[in-house]
Amino acid sequence: MQMHCFGRKLCCSSYPLVPVSLPSRRETHFWYIVPDEIKDESLLNRYLGLLSSGEKESVFRMNGDKLRKRALLARALVRTTLARYTQVSPRSLKFKKNLFGKPEVEWQPDEKWDPPSLHFNISHTSSLIACGVAADMPIGIDVEEKHRKTRNNISALARRYFSTHEVEYLDNIPDSEMQQQEFIKLWTLKEAYVKALGRGFSASPFNTFTIRFKDICQSSLQVSKNFSSEAYEIVVEALNDSEHLATNCQFAIFELGNLHFAAICTQKDNITQGEEENMLKLKAWKTIPFVEDECVSETDTIIPISGLA
Amino acid sequence: MASLNATSITFESSLKPSIGSTQVTGRSSRSLISFGLSSNGFPTLRSSRFRVSCSATPQTVEKVCEIVRKQLALPAETELTPESKFTALGADSLDTVEIVMGLEEEFGISVEEESSVTITTVQEAADMIEKLVQQKDKA
Repeated sequence: MQMHCFGRKLCCSSYPLVPVSLPSRRETHFWYIVPDEIKDESLLNRYLGLLSSGEKESVFRMNGDKLRKRALLARALVRTTLARYTQVSPRSLKFKKNLFGKPEVEWQPDEKWDPPSLHFNISHTSSLIACGVAADMPIGIDVEEKHRKTRNNISALARRYFSTHEVEYLDNIPDSEMQQQEFIKLWTLKEAYVKALGRGFSASPFNTFTIRFKDICQSSLQVSKNFSSEAYEIVVEALNDSEHLATNCQFAIFELGNLHFAAICTQKDNITQGEEENMLKLKAWKTIPFVEDECVSETDTIIPISGLA
Repeated sequence: MASLNATSITFESSLKPSIGSTQVTGRSSRSLISFGLSSNGFPTLRSSRFRVSCSATPQTVEKVCEIVRKQLALPAETELTPESKFTALGADSLDTVEIVMGLEEEFGISVEEESSVTITTVQEAADMIEKLVQQKDKA
């Protein structure tokens, strides 16, 4: 009885996932969920039904309902988002981990269809869950609450974990509020970089690379007085960059809603030249999968800080 | 169809594994054996099977729990055991580095970068602290 009703309810509340075209080479897609907006138990159960048994176990291993809901929504977001770009149903997507533990889609072989080279990465805070998608190139994203207060002093944290130049940059900021904000921004950029590389944190400890702001006009590296400027390009320098991964990185950072910073790191598209092409094109949606999608790209929900076209 | 019943509304599902099974899956295979000193000062060889009873002192574990609770702002009713995984408690990478810094300050130790990323549970943190404190006392 229960099963039958459940099944019928699914059909009635069914709202198909709106398909989306693949991101172009210079484009990143950014999908996010605000967990507090999703309270409907039948919807949450529907999301649960999309998960593999391993994912369900991981969800239930989380401590407490709030964290379980968050874990559930994160998996549901990944599955439903990727399904939009393909003919595949969200439930049937399979995932694997690369050599270093970074999750990737494992496309099932099918002669009729050439699976797209889709890369994704997720990040969450207690109030937001995000999934970045890129075609043909690796992607790393990180979201943090803008006003996150650290227990430790910013200088102490930076000295312990950041590179010398980054410590210097932060130390030169006299206002403690601004210093906290710049720390958070740097943190999101560094996280996005490590996650884009996909080799795990132990392969790229934070103090082995520096995020800097290169003056686009002068083409010289300098410690920027004002990070939040379009005249600057975000670059990363790594102590050991034998594979030139750092030089090929492209960053963008923006404010998301009133509460968050979001950073994206992908590879540069070396085919198209020119300064304008150095900026990332962003398309962003706030979503409640199966219920509604809201494109927020050209709205003031997204306030570019640097790196966005 | 048990899974459908388990998807009941408040996530109070019978699928919820016990802490014990989490312990088994969460156990790292890197260091099945750890060296240390027993209470009479003789070196002992410990296997991971005995890890819970013979490693870090309860006081150390307690202090670690306190620091983790504070950093993650855990509600009082949240159960915290030595096997609790930081990520399962909602810790992200910034929380983890803050926890490590809190532990360094509390115990007067210095944790190497490589070690700090391998601490994933309260027990692992406590064991590492004991090891570093002992090394420090010997120096």
